[in-house]
Amino acid sequence: MHKFIAFSVFALTLGVAATFAVTPPKVLVVAQSIEDAVSFDPAEGYELTTVQTFNNVYQRLVQSNPNNPTQIVPALAASWKLGADGKSLTFTLKTGAAFASGNPVRPEDVIFSLSRAVKLNKAPAFILNSLGWTADNVDSFLVRTDAKSVTLSWPAKVGASFVLNLLTAPIASIVDQVTVASHEQSGDQGNGWLKTASAGSGSFVIHSYVPHDSLVLDANPKSPAGAPILQSVILRNVADPASRRLLVEQGDADLARDLGADQIAALNGKAGISVLAVASAQQDYIILNAASTTNPDLKNPALWQALRYLVDYDGIANKLLKGQAKVHQAFLPDGFPGALNDNPFKLDVTKAKSILAKAGLTNVRIALSVFNQPPFSDIAQSLQSTFAQAGVTLDLQPAITSEVYSKIRSRTYEASILYWIPDYFDAHSNAQAFAFNRDDSVHNVAWRAGWLTPELSDKTDAAVAEKDPAVRAKLYGAIQKSVQESSPFIFAFQATDQVVLRSNVKGYIQGINADQVYFAGVSK
Amino acid sequence: MTTPLAWKTSRLRRLASVGGSVLTVAGSLLVLLIVTFGLNALSPIDPALAVAGDHASQSTLAQTRRELGLDQPLPVQFLLYLGRLAHGDWGTSRSTGQPVLGDLARALPATLELSTLALLLATGFGVILGLGAASRPGGAIDGISRFLALVGSSIPIFWLGLVLMALFYARLHWLGGPGRLDGVFQYTVPLTTGFLLIDSIRSGQEGAVANAVSHLALPVLVLMLHALAKISRLTRSSALEELSKEYVTFARSKGVNQRRILFYHVVPNIRGAIITTTALAYVELLEGAVLTETIFAWPGLGRYLATALFAADSPAILGATLVLGAAFILINAAVDALVQLLDPRAK
Repeated sequence: MHKFIAFSVFALTLGVAATFAVTPPKVLVVAQSIEDAVSFDPAEGYELTTVQTFNNVYQRLVQSNPNNPTQIVPALAASWKLGADGKSLTFTLKTGAAFASGNPVRPEDVIFSLSRAVKLNKAPAFILNSLGWTADNVDSFLVRTDAKSVTLSWPAKVGASFVLNLLTAPIASIVDQVTVASHEQSGDQGNGWLKTASAGSGSFVIHSYVPHDSLVLDANPKSPAGAPILQSVILRNVADPASRRLLVEQGDADLARDLGADQIAALNGKAGISVLAVASAQQDYIILNAASTTNPDLKNPALWQALRYLVDYDGIANKLLKGQAKVHQAFLPDGFPGALNDNPFKLDVTKAKSILAKAGLTNVRIALSVFNQPPFSDIAQSLQSTFAQAGVTLDLQPAITSEVYSKIRSRTYEASILYWIPDYFDAHSNAQAFAFNRDDSVHNVAWRAGWLTPELSDKTDAAVAEKDPAVRAKLYGAIQKSVQESSPFIFAFQATDQVVLRSNVKGYIQGINADQVYFAGVSK
Repeated sequence: MTTPLAWKTSRLRRLASVGGSVLTVAGSLLVLLIVTFGLNALSPIDPALAVAGDHASQSTLAQTRRELGLDQPLPVQFLLYLGRLAHGDWGTSRSTGQPVLGDLARALPATLELSTLALLLATGFGVILGLGAASRPGGAIDGISRFLALVGSSIPIFWLGLVLMALFYARLHWLGGPGRLDGVFQYTVPLTTGFLLIDSIRSGQEGAVANAVSHLALPVLVLMLHALAKISRLTRSSALEELSKEYVTFARSKGVNQRRILFYHVVPNIRGAIITTTALAYVELLEGAVLTETIFAWPGLGRYLATALFAADSPAILGATLVLGAAFILINAAVDALVQLLDPRAK
């Protein structure tokens, strides 16, 4: 009993010692899960955490205007000129621009960075591959024109507006060749070192990264992008959303990401807290495997068509996703140039039944591989009940994310609900994934759905080669319409990213694409 | 009298027995590794995909597979792993991109600090509550002990953790929240030993120790309650059994008081059982603190192993299994030695 009293006294003493916490001034504390991070090397990192960091640590030749993403503005390049053949761009570098190390930014750094990214051939390398650049040929397309300029050319049939958009992607980040080369080990081009360090010219530098614990960014006052207002940004790994909510509510974090709809509802309207809703380019879609060896019904376009009328779009968006998504039925997200924003499909069981009956489809049974976490597990249950109304049985097969992806990638699934985030801010990113499969040679999403579509592939090629942005947008409108009308994809929702901020945090900017997170203008 | 020859034989025998134990330990660890590797190979997750991501091109995926050595037959992969391990190379974790040894050197102290404190408290309170409960079954202490055991063993640990945090951290502001330190200290207290109680004392910063303790309090409490349930109930039932024996009745009839009977007669007879249960509880705390570590944002071994499993990250899984297996063998050996030392019959 004495020990009990002693423990209570101990606890009370602690109570006095612990005070209401406030984060240090000039330091932004972000609560999020950083367990996805594999590498902070811009040529390799392709996870949400790393991609969201690159815009703050590295600069590219050009960037999307943070306040108006469709506009391309100078970054390390002061200006650029299109070559006479329309297949090359000459960039003149900003005078006096230097890396955080103090080394000047030279044409050699541009060539080194792009060539390195292609040759390392890590996860995001396919983005630069779409210019026709491969490990063997890339060096011949990157030429130093003079001490201040560099010319990039490309063999692929793509227009300059596409190339400029593509160069805003994190993989096109310019790294400091001198610093990186000094950390090279057994021909790894500095990849081992850059996994946890930085060598860029962005507003911040990586101070420290401890896996599963924290990422600390320090201000780079010499950045050509301008000195940030904050001294540091600390990304704390908090894997549990309920814990993240407590931290931001208590003021121990200034910003919290990825909270559930119910947690956001509980925080909305609380003093000292504001919820920022940012339209995101993430889309949820149903994928059907037309090449399934276990379910021949799935290659029947009538089934694809019927299922489009068996999704309770409004019910799921309003009741399950509660403010975290809206209905969107085309493969380009709202906010991308050329996006198709009419949503022609509604839950219509009678119509679905008549399509199924006309096609002679009875006793349809589909196995649905689904991530074992909300909101996907909830959406799957809604689909199960609406599909059943038309006699389509859905067997739910919940599994962890990596297991579902392994099945999709090996085409050993029947159907799934997945999400898609564009790889760079250009319509081609999604068109190339969903509307391109001439001969099964590229294992993109269309291949994973077992869908051969030579005609749309030609249209996708034509759209990316088009120079006039207005004509391009029109071409993508037509491609989306085709995918919407007949394809094994059912696009259903577009996400809204809800970021919880302490009210004293000002100037935080987040754009529609996953990488568009900017800490440089933040003050508190 | 011992002849020099007999002396030599006995020394040889002892050496042989030590050698035998080392071989047994190494053999057990090897079997553990083989089983873990085999189970991981059965995992439906493609490890290369977990690294390169869902969007990567076929050529990147093939290259990743080569780099991870996944293009080799399974037995070759395992033998290569063993060969590297023999040279002190534990491999690189695919999910953190970092050397496994460094990852473990960071995660293990965090878990050890948490579970050792929880175990010490659980043993102290558990034994006292158990004895108190046994000395007066149905009494107040028995009631408290039963209630705590019920809380510790039946309330889901993640729920208990969140509720305690909502109360003591969010409502009352008495204790620290998720994480091992407040943001103010988190990056100013250098991690040298990895044990924050030690590191915060060494840093000499004002308030750092109190802060570390206030962050430890809740996860330690949650884990302690979990272990306490077992230890207190086992102590109670073992003590009750002893108390019903004839030698206790005899001691009572001679006028020996209850406290003396408990501490001088009952405890020595049940300590073997208590030590064994405590050791089992310790092993469970070391490997099973995943949920507690998730809720309290504690970068420990359980959480590390869980994320590695989700990515079929075999170097990390094998490394963490090796550490846990070694800990299990060590703790068991220590328990055997301790029980033998304390058992008068073994002398």
